[in-house]
Amino acid sequence: MKSISKLVMVIAVSLSSINSFAQIKDAETATVTIYGNCEMCKATIEEAGNVKREANVQWDQKTKVATLTYNSGKTDPDEILKRIALAGYDSENFLAPDDVYAKLPECCQYNRALKPTGQAEAAHAHHQAASPANTAVENASQLQPVFDYYFSIKDALVKTDAPTASAKAAELVAAIGAVEMDKLTTAEHTAWMNVLKGLTANAERVSTSKDIAKQREAFAALSTQLYELAKVSKQDIAVYHQHCPMYSNGKGANWLSKENAVKNPYYGAQMLTCGETVEIIK
Amino acid sequence: MNRYKNICLKLAQAALLLLLCTPALFAQKVVRYDLYVSDTLVNYAGKEKRAIAVNGQIPMPTLTFTEGDTAEIVVHNQLNESTSLHWHGVFLPNKEDGVPHLTQQPIKPGETYTYRFPIIQHGTHWYHSHSGFQEQIGMYGNFVMKKRDEDKTFRKGIDDLPTVPLMLSEWTNLNPNNINRMLHNANDWAAIKKGATQSYVEAIREGQFHTKVTNEWKRMLAMDVSDVYYDKILINGENALELKTVDGQTLKAGDRVRFRISNGGASSYFWLRYAGGKMTVVASDGNDVEPVEVDRLIIAVSETYDVVVTIPEGGVAYEFLATTEDRTQSASYFIGNGIKQLISPLPRLKYFEGMKMMNDMMKMNGDLDDMGMNMSLNRMDMNVVMYPEITGEAGEKVDHSKHGMDTNNDANRYDANALGDIVTLNYAMLKSPHNTTLPKDAPVKELKFTLTGNMNRYVWSMDNKILSETDKIPVKKGEILRITLYNNSMMRHPMHLHGFDFRIINDQGENAPLKNVMDIMPMETNTIEFLANEEGDWFFHCHILYHMMAGMNRVFAVGDYQNPYLPDKAKAYNALQMESNMPHFMIQNDFATNGNDGEAMLQNARWSLGTEWRLGYNAMHGYEIETHLGRFIGKMQWFMPFVGFDWRYRKMGIDEHETNLFGQKNEKDTRRAVSLGFMYTLPMLVNFQAEVYHDGIVRLSLMREDIPISKRLRAGFMANTDLEYMGELRYIITKNIGIRAHYDSDMGFGGGLALTY
Repeated sequence: MKSISKLVMVIAVSLSSINSFAQIKDAETATVTIYGNCEMCKATIEEAGNVKREANVQWDQKTKVATLTYNSGKTDPDEILKRIALAGYDSENFLAPDDVYAKLPECCQYNRALKPTGQAEAAHAHHQAASPANTAVENASQLQPVFDYYFSIKDALVKTDAPTASAKAAELVAAIGAVEMDKLTTAEHTAWMNVLKGLTANAERVSTSKDIAKQREAFAALSTQLYELAKVSKQDIAVYHQHCPMYSNGKGANWLSKENAVKNPYYGAQMLTCGETVEIIK
Repeated sequence: MNRYKNICLKLAQAALLLLLCTPALFAQKVVRYDLYVSDTLVNYAGKEKRAIAVNGQIPMPTLTFTEGDTAEIVVHNQLNESTSLHWHGVFLPNKEDGVPHLTQQPIKPGETYTYRFPIIQHGTHWYHSHSGFQEQIGMYGNFVMKKRDEDKTFRKGIDDLPTVPLMLSEWTNLNPNNINRMLHNANDWAAIKKGATQSYVEAIREGQFHTKVTNEWKRMLAMDVSDVYYDKILINGENALELKTVDGQTLKAGDRVRFRISNGGASSYFWLRYAGGKMTVVASDGNDVEPVEVDRLIIAVSETYDVVVTIPEGGVAYEFLATTEDRTQSASYFIGNGIKQLISPLPRLKYFEGMKMMNDMMKMNGDLDDMGMNMSLNRMDMNVVMYPEITGEAGEKVDHSKHGMDTNNDANRYDANALGDIVTLNYAMLKSPHNTTLPKDAPVKELKFTLTGNMNRYVWSMDNKILSETDKIPVKKGEILRITLYNNSMMRHPMHLHGFDFRIINDQGENAPLKNVMDIMPMETNTIEFLANEEGDWFFHCHILYHMMAGMNRVFAVGDYQNPYLPDKAKAYNALQMESNMPHFMIQNDFATNGNDGEAMLQNARWSLGTEWRLGYNAMHGYEIETHLGRFIGKMQWFMPFVGFDWRYRKMGIDEHETNLFGQKNEKDTRRAVSLGFMYTLPMLVNFQAEVYHDGIVRLSLMREDIPISKRLRAGFMANTDLEYMGELRYIITKNIGIRAHYDSDMGFGGGLALTY
């Protein structure tokens, strides 16, 4: 009996799967939609899904439908789809990890229709891109972009990343120019007029220099000016005024941060947690 | 699932008993559980294997109490071996602590045994067998003690959240006794399974040849963060689980759930991560801590953490992932309803970076050198050099290094929280909500322990002494014990104290956190303190099962406790000492074309009785047997003096040498000789052996086994002053079988099948 049923199965299998997956036993098939864009996506999806003698995936770029052929005794569609999701591709059952999706080549960054678009998504996008443009809300303070680019420069200096610091500083210069002074509060306006010249000069110094030491020098001055602004400007989150006692041969320098944990922009990884919070501005 | 069909009858019985007893006794605040311990067969990883189930289930049932109850737990031992249950982290009279030979006699097969103690604390704890390796094969369960509603420490928004107990564990298809034996024999099968052999070929491919040579020069075997290969990781007995409702309520966006997580794994640390954002740690080892938000935490063997997670969106089930520290296996728990949001798996460890780090830390004498970093409290994790998510992928340099900074002098280079955006929990971040200071007027007894061990022989000890080499440590009742631990071994150790919570001294001052397990990483120094106000013999040990069974234990004898279950305490302690230093056996033989080549060894922590043989198929090839009885000296056990006995018989044949290198005449045809000698492990793990026979003949030899050429290929050689030599290559097929080719000066070329047990 057993051998007959085996024989029948073998015939059935070899008939149903004519060419490439003849080696898959107890084959069953399923069709599922897997989100993706291009040829490259197709290659990644199929490679992630395929397991020799166990599973075979054929993804149609146009319809986004994948045909899964698998050994039902060994695996199931969920296992295959999980592997594909871990390679970056959403399907009905699984959402890819955000960091894996973010690392896909640009042409493969398909529209994630299945991902809920609530606040978590927005918060996440903010976190990932850390791009101030996204966070600038219409009715927020005119100075918001200035602060945001300042924090970006600081983060770049924490990572001792001169090119990024320079790029962000260039954007800061632009943001400074874009501030519409008539929309500032009186206190902000006064402070703004006081620091504007130095602010622009220091931002330009950071942007034009490729030397991290020079950038940090300019950043120290920039921080003093930003502090003057922070004191009078309404921020929706707390800003931490922090101090490094060692910088510039013991003269010390300050900076502003959005978090209480110290990450020193003057020394970066050399002395990352050196420093202290001297004031919390709310 | 027919996994437990053979015991479902018992399950029904137990359930009935529970139903009958519990309501009646509840009024008196005695909470009774009946636990039926029995053998079962499970299939977690493709093979049917023996396990132990309690009331028909793995993990054991969750036992729930409220502070103020009296626990009455009746154990029915239906095994063919003795058992015991230890209530991990629970304050109780010593005789209820559940350590066989220390606080009670083992529960014999067929016996019914009752544990009874008042519940005088609250929090997430667990329970497990303290007998042999039973904990590895199913005997672990949650033990939850709830706060009373009127408790002054009741935290709104935390203690009123719906809770779910999570028991983490690992499964191996190998018998744990066998694992233990293989560990002691430095069998690297686990490394092959994990892809962590770190062979020469792999080293060359990654441009790390120098690193590998330095490593062997310093007499180290391939390094890893854990030693046992597991086939499956389990959360509440399953590899993947879904949580859609809690207490009958369907989970929706914004809901918060409190997990009571216990690590019931025998030797695995787990990384805990959540796809739905940050997690809030609210308690550790059953003790409340000030809520702290983290991206991930590592839970040491036998620790417990209470963690609050939030479901950010509806229509999505977020993955809570527990990954072993070696990152080879994981288990998932999906929280919420809908499409499953995955979290990316942790990338593979950069083993050669770890090897480089170990090379830097290891002095030639086997001591560790922290290079003045004063490490403590898990803040500096040397292993970050191996974590691609923090220090970048192998081969690619971290950002700041290209700016010409000297990363070698960076004080933060092992501080995960300083290096990346990922917040990892460490002990410095734990803060008790209460003042935990001990009475000022109590006398203080200071103790220092150095955690010691060596990987090559898998001996784990404290101050280079295993339990069987030490007496109980006397402590006066009412004394404060302040214990400073320094880890001078290459592995991390989760040190667990029975019967008490201790303060971990960190920067939180009066609010130092209370725990009963402290993980201590290599080179760390940590201090703990507690008030020894409960009499009895309390176990203090490394909770990695295979380290504990190797003897990494101490006993604190508080006061002069009379244990009614142990009238002869001295005899019982001897039994405990014996069980912590059991001899282990290995044998291997090569059935080759030119003869049989093999050895057998019976060893414990200090002694080795070994026999080597070379048996030809005819008298010309000869027969040769050498037996050595030796004792390992020193912490690293590189030195072993021995007495030996040789017997050989050979008709003169191939490669005749009647005189040795020193011109001494050496009769080979028939020889019976007694010898005195020693073996010493040289750099590059070459064994140097020198012996003098009773007739004055001297023999010196050099040998090296198991040189890892590639993932599965091993080489070895031997040469001695009798002008005998041998070279071999062995290809490992399974943990017991290999193919071996060798050339031997006595027996010529041979190829064959090498069997190892």
